[in-house]
Amino acid sequence: MMSPSVIFIAILLLMSAAYYAGRKRALAVAGSRAGLARMHSRPTYYGLLTAMWCGIPALLVFSSWSVFESGIITHLVVAGLPDAIRDLPADRLNLVVNDIRNLVSGNIVSADIDQTMRSAADHYLELQAISHASLAVVILAMTMAAIAILMRIIAPGLRARNQVESIIKWILIACSTIAIFTTIGILLSVLFEAIRFFEKISITEFLFGLKWSPQMAIRADQVGSSGAFGAVPVFAGTLMISAIAMVVAVPVGLLSAIYLSEYADRRFRAVAKPLMEILAGIPTVVYGFFAALTVAPLIRETGIGLGLDVSSESALAAGLVMGIMIIPFVSSLSDDVINAVPQAMRDGAYGLGATKSETVKQVVLPAALPGIVGGVLLAVSRAIGETMIVVMAAGLAANLTANPLKTVTTVTVQIVTLLVGDQEFDSPKTLAAFALGLILFIATLILNVIALHVVRKYREQYE
Amino acid sequence: MDAAANFEELTVGIENTQTASTGPAKAKSGRILFDRDSRDTVGEPFVEDARMTCRDVNVYYGDKQAIKDVSLDIGRNEVIAMIGPSGCGKSTFLRCLNRMNDTIDTCRVTGQITLDGIDVYGKDIDVVPLRAQVGMVFQKPNPFPKSIYDNVAYGPRIHGLAQNRAELDDIVETSLRKAGLWEEVKDRMDQPGTGLSGGQQQRLCIARTIAVSPEVILMDEPCSALDPIATAIIEDLIDELKQQYSIAIVTHSMQQASRVSQRTAYFHLGDLIEVGDTAQIFTTPRHQLTQDYITGRFG
Ligand SMILES: Nc1ncnc2c1ncn2[C@@H]1O[C@H](COP(=O)(O)OP(=O)(O)OP(=O)(O)O)[C@@H](O)[C@H]1O
Ligand SMILES: [Mg+2]
Repeated sequence: MMSPSVIFIAILLLMSAAYYAGRKRALAVAGSRAGLARMHSRPTYYGLLTAMWCGIPALLVFSSWSVFESGIITHLVVAGLPDAIRDLPADRLNLVVNDIRNLVSGNIVSADIDQTMRSAADHYLELQAISHASLAVVILAMTMAAIAILMRIIAPGLRARNQVESIIKWILIACSTIAIFTTIGILLSVLFEAIRFFEKISITEFLFGLKWSPQMAIRADQVGSSGAFGAVPVFAGTLMISAIAMVVAVPVGLLSAIYLSEYADRRFRAVAKPLMEILAGIPTVVYGFFAALTVAPLIRETGIGLGLDVSSESALAAGLVMGIMIIPFVSSLSDDVINAVPQAMRDGAYGLGATKSETVKQVVLPAALPGIVGGVLLAVSRAIGETMIVVMAAGLAANLTANPLKTVTTVTVQIVTLLVGDQEFDSPKTLAAFALGLILFIATLILNVIALHVVRKYREQYE
Repeated sequence: MDAAANFEELTVGIENTQTASTGPAKAKSGRILFDRDSRDTVGEPFVEDARMTCRDVNVYYGDKQAIKDVSLDIGRNEVIAMIGPSGCGKSTFLRCLNRMNDTIDTCRVTGQITLDGIDVYGKDIDVVPLRAQVGMVFQKPNPFPKSIYDNVAYGPRIHGLAQNRAELDDIVETSLRKAGLWEEVKDRMDQPGTGLSGGQQQRLCIARTIAVSPEVILMDEPCSALDPIATAIIEDLIDELKQQYSIAIVTHSMQQASRVSQRTAYFHLGDLIEVGDTAQIFTTPRHQLTQDYITGRFG
C-alpha cells in the first residue's frame, strides 16, 4: 500500500540517490584530475543540482496532491450517491459526508450505518487507493525523468554551482514570502470581519462613542438590549493600564540596565542577568493571579486606610503588575544597546576627567538613547497586547474614568470576553471583536514600525 | 588596521635604511652594542626635575604581562617619544599614566607612578582631577556622538572652566584652531562630530583634549591618519604646548619622533629597552634591538 508517508520517504531517498548519481556522473564526465579542473563546478554541485531537480518538483506535486486529494475524492463520492441523498440541503449533506469520512477512518458514526453509507465508504477507500497509486507513479516518473535528463546534460560547461545557488536563493525567498503572506492573511481576515462589523455599526460610533456595552438581542423579540459599541472607554482603559505599566517598567528597567552594564562587577552581572530573564519567563497567568490575589487586595486595603474608594479590581493593580512583567523586557533591550556603545566613547569621557555618572548621563545614554527609545516602544506594544493580567486584575466593566483605582477594561480583554462561549459568528457582538482586533493590530504595527526605524537609525551611527 | 600598521612599519623601515645609511659606519666601528638578549634598560631613564616618575611598573592583562618592570621619568617641558613594534605595550604604558587602565576589568598595575611627587595610584587619589591634569588623545579617534561644538566644549563644561557662553565659545575656537581644524569646521559646528573624516576626527579629539588645558598630555599616535600638512600643524602644536606642559607621544614615524621629541624611549615586548636623547637614539643606538628597529631590520 502506497501511503503518503511512504511516498514522502521515497522522495527523500530518491533525492539522495540522485545526489550520488549526479556526483558520480560528474566525476565520470571529468575523467581525470585535469578533467576535474576543466569542469565548471565541483562534483558536489552537480550532485546537488540533480537532487534538487529530482526532489523539488516531486515535493511540490506531492504537497499539492495532498491538499486537493480529499476534496476531489469527496466530490466524486458525493456524485456517486443516490439522488435522494444528493438532494438534501447543504448542511444535512455535510453531515452525511462527515459520516462517510468517519466510517472511512474507522471512527464511531452518529447515524446508523446503512447499506448506501457502507458502499459510499468503500467507494471512497477505492478512490483513495487509486489516487495514492497514481501519485506514486507520477512521482516516480518525474524523479526518474529528472535524473535521466540531468545525467545527459551534465557536462564540463554546465554551470551547476550558479544554478544551485540561485535555486537556494529562491527557496529562501519562498520561505520568507510565506511569513509575509501569513501576516497579510491574518490582517485581511481581521479586516474583512471588521468591515462586516462596520456595515452594522457606523465607524464613527465605534471610534468616538463613549458607551461600551456589547449586548445584542439574541432573539429578535428580546427587549431592552440593543447594545452600544462606542470603543472610547475600552481604548482609554488600555491607554491607562499601559501608561501605568510603562511608568513602572521604564525607570526601573532602564536604571537596572545602567547599573548592570556600567556599575556592577562581572560576577554580580553573571548572576543578576539570568535572574532578570527568569522574570521574563514567568507565564503571564501567574502574574495575573499575583495581581488579582496579592496586589489588588493590598492596594484596596491601603486605599481604604487612606480613606479612598478603591474597587477590588483596579487599573492600578493590573498596571503595576504588568509593569513588573515588562521590566526585564526593557532592561534587557536597554542593556544590549548600552553595551553596544563603544568602550572608546566612554574612554573619551573618562580621559577628559568625567566621573562615572557624568559619562553615563552625558555620553553613554545619549549615544544609546535611540536604541532605548526603540526598546521602550516595543515594550509599549507588548503592554497594549497583554491580556491575562488585565482579565484577572482589572475587571471587565468598561468605565470611562481617569481614576486608576476604578475598574477598567482593555481592548484585549474585551476581545476575549466577546469571543468566549457560544456565539453566533455574524452578530455585531462577535464582529466587534474583529474591529477591536484591527485597531490593536494597527496600533502595535505602527509602534513596531516606529521602533524598528528608530533602532535601525541608531545602528547606522557606529557603522 | 593591521595592514595599515604593517604598511607604516614598512615605509618606516625604508626611510630608515636611508637615514641609517649616513650612520652605520659608526655602528660597525666597534661601538659596544648591548646584546639582543639583554632586557635591562639601556641609557638614562631618569631626569632631574621630573614631572611624572614611574618606578618598576608592571602591567598585567589577566595572566598576561604587557609591561615588565619599566622605570621612566617624564621631564618638565619636554616631549618624550615612545616607539617600538606594534603590540609592545606603548599604549598600555601610556594608559597607566592617567589610570585609564582602571576601566579594563582584567588589567592590573603594580609599581609606583607619581605626578609632581604624588602617587597617582595612592588610596585617596581621585581619578577625576588626575585625568583633567593628565589628558589623553587616544589611538583611535573617538568623538562623542554630539555636535562638533559640544565635543570640544564637553571637558570645559564638566570642569566649569568657562563662566559664560562667550568664554566657552572662545575656548572651543582656540582649541580647534590649535588643532588645525577650525577653518574646516567653523561653519558646521552644530553637526555631529562622528560625521567628520578620520583625520578630522583625530584633530577634533586633540582639540577636545587641549580644551581642558591638561598639564601632561599623552598622545597615542595622534597623527596616524593625518596628511603631511595636518601633521605639521599638530607638530607645531606640540612644540608650542611644550613651553608649558609635558608631553608623551607614541608614534610609529621615526621622523616625527626625531622632529618633535627631546627624549625617546624604545619598547620591545613589554620591556623598556633603551631611553636617551632623541638624537643619540637615532644616530648611535646602544642596544642591538634598538638599532635593529630604527634601521628597519626588526622582525
Ligand atoms: N584590553 C586588553 N586586554 C588584554 N590584552 C590587551 C589589552 N590591550 C592590550 N593588550 C595586550 O597588551 C599588549 C600591548 O598592547 P598595546 O596596545 O599596549 O600595544 P602597542 O604598543 O600600543 O601597539 P600598537 O603600536 O599596535 O598600538 C598586546 O600584546 C596586547 O595584545
Ligand atoms: Mg597602541
